[in-house]
Parts: sequence; structure tokens; C-alpha cells
Amino acid sequence: MSEHTHQPESGRTRDLPMARSMCWHCQSEMTGEYFCGRCVKVQPLSKELDYFTCLNLPRKLNLDEQALEETFYALSRSFHPDYYATKDEGEKAISLGNTALLNTAYRTLKDPVQRAEYLIRLEAGSAKDIRTSPPADLFDEILELQEDLDEFRSLSAGESDERRQELLEKLQADRRTLEARKAQMEDRLQEQFGRWDALPTEAEGDADVQTQKDAVLAGMQEILSNRTYVKNIVNDLVAATSPTAEPGRSAWH
Amino acid sequence: MAYSEKVIDHYNNPRNMGSFKKEEDGVGTGIVGAPECGDVMKLQIKVENDTIVDAKFKTFGCGSAIASSSLATEWLKGKTVDQAGQIKNTEIVQELNLPPVKIHCSVLAEDAIKAALNDYKKKADTEGETEAAATPA
Repeated sequence: MSEHTHQPESGRTRDLPMARSMCWHCQSEMTGEYFCGRCVKVQPLSKELDYFTCLNLPRKLNLDEQALEETFYALSRSFHPDYYATKDEGEKAISLGNTALLNTAYRTLKDPVQRAEYLIRLEAGSAKDIRTSPPADLFDEILELQEDLDEFRSLSAGESDERRQELLEKLQADRRTLEARKAQMEDRLQEQFGRWDALPTEAEGDADVQTQKDAVLAGMQEILSNRTYVKNIVNDLVAATSPTAEPGRSAWH
Repeated sequence: MAYSEKVIDHYNNPRNMGSFKKEEDGVGTGIVGAPECGDVMKLQIKVENDTIVDAKFKTFGCGSAIASSSLATEWLKGKTVDQAGQIKNTEIVQELNLPPVKIHCSVLAEDAIKAALNDYKKKADTEGETEAAATPA
């Protein structure tokens, strides 16, 4: 096989919802592949194609990261615009469009938080009315912290050093507490990932499974929402109390 | 997408920023948040004889969220409780020229108004009840 072949490994037929059911070039019927089986022309990905299917992964939350990388690189190569530089405008456009969709799919699934948010959106048909209760206690806490932050920011260095120092220490302690809480939320999210993955996939129309699915989705939604509030206040605390500090590196953004 | 001049004006010169004491008579407090972006908004009204005589807000979020709540407090003043309940997020979108990605900020402001009104009504009811209970039949 030449290095520049655009044909992905054969023998894999998947049920891909393509933009067209016929090859745009030779009009032969498509069997759900990225390339026409007859004339080998690249086919446009459908906008309806979900990211899991696009990357040949099951709709699970603890995903096989190696498989994700491998499929992404293989498809990236086969769609890459550089290989289509000498092709006609139609093929160039398909190559660009497919590459853009593939990149978005990969970025979304690679990040656990975005992956969970995407899955909730995908499944929203069943769980559309997920309305998590507003976390009143958390709001009160955030507002109180913001007041302290406002006061701290208004005190310029040099004057009222004592109060400034006192506030700084309090805010730094608050920051540590909240960072720990954010980590706990991520652990709880991870538990929900496991719960989701354990649910049967082939259970269309099973009301019992649907109820369980909705419960897991709602649980994740609630954790994700609260995590966003905590993340924002932590960012504000970091920015105000350690302007030169590097943000911590973590798989969770 | 650039902010409209009106958003920038409210952001730079927020109207009615601050807070009332929650327990104060006639004060209704609404605290709401947008789970997508993590913005938190507190909006308070002060009611005398069924009319909103003052309103204050504190918003921790983006420029559009601050502008939406600032504008809401301006509109609330002088309205009756019923009139205030009719303020729609679409009116805020129009006034501030909010782009589609910022419409949720105006929704947040409408939610905050509703929450403040509900809190006021709830407080007024329980006060009425305690008064009634305190007065021998």
C-alpha cells in the first residue's frame, strides 16, 4: 500500500449516516463508508453524524483513549486537505468539511467534561426536561466569597496591609477548600460515568432502562452545573490571590 | 462578536449595583445562576404599597449578564409587582442588542426578577399570616 492511499482499512462496514445515500461522483449506492467502494472518492460526512459513531466508538463515557487517538489519526490522514490539493473543488470542499467535523468530534470526546456534556445533549431527546434545582447554598457561599474578593481587590498594597493580609490568607484557604470540592465533584462524575457505561445499550423502548438512563443523565447534569460555578469562583480566587500562578494541570478543564 | 454600546455603557456604569438586607421589610431577593457558563446573579427589589421603590443587583459573570441585570433594575423601579412580573427577556435582548449566544443572559435576568418577586410575595404572605395569627379572632 502506498503511503498516500486514502482508502481506510477495508473489511469494516459500519452503519454511518452519510449525507447522501449515493456516491456524489459515480452514483453507485453507498453502504455507509467514508469512501465510495467503487470509485474510491471521499464522501461528505453528514452533519447528523454523532461524534461517537464518527470515531467508531461506543456511546460510553469511559472510552478507550488509545482507540480514540488511533481512529482520529487514521481518519485525519484519509481526509487531510493536503492530499486533495490536486483534486477538483468538490473533493477539496468535502475534505475540508470532513476534517473540520472530525477535529470537533475528537476535541469534544477527548475531554471528559465536554464528553459528558455532549452525551447529555445527544441523549436530550429522552432527558430534555432535566432541570436541576438551583444550588441555593452554593450561591450564598459564592456571593459571600465575591464580597470578600471585592474588598480584597479594593485594598491597594501599602495601605491597610493588615486587613489585606488577613483577607489574602482567608481567600487562599477558601481556594484550597473549593479546589478540593471540585476534585470531589469530578470523582462523583467519574462514578456516574461507570454507572452510565454499565447500563444496557440495546434496550430501545425499555421503560425501566430509560428511567435509569434519565437518572444518570440528571445526576451528571447536576454535578456538571455545580462544578461550573465552583470552577468560576476558583478561577476568580486564583486570579486575585496569585496573579503569577500557573493554572494547575489536570485532565479536567 | 462585539458588545453593543448599550451593553458597554451598563458594564462601565452599572446602575443600582449593591444590595439590601434580605430580612428587611418589603425586600424580595432572587439569586439565580446559569449552569452553562457559571454566572451568578442576585437581584433585589424593595416594595412599598405594591410598588417597587428601589432595586439593586450584584452579578458575577460576563458583560451581557451584568448589563441585563443593570437594565432590569432600572426597569423595575416604579413598576407595580404585577407589572414587574410581565418583563420579558426578549425586551432586554432588544434593548441591549444581545447576539444569539448571549440570549441566556437575558433569560437569567428574567429568572432573577421572577425569583425576587416570588421571594417578596412569600415573605408578604407569611408576614400576613403571622399578623393574622397574632391578632385574636
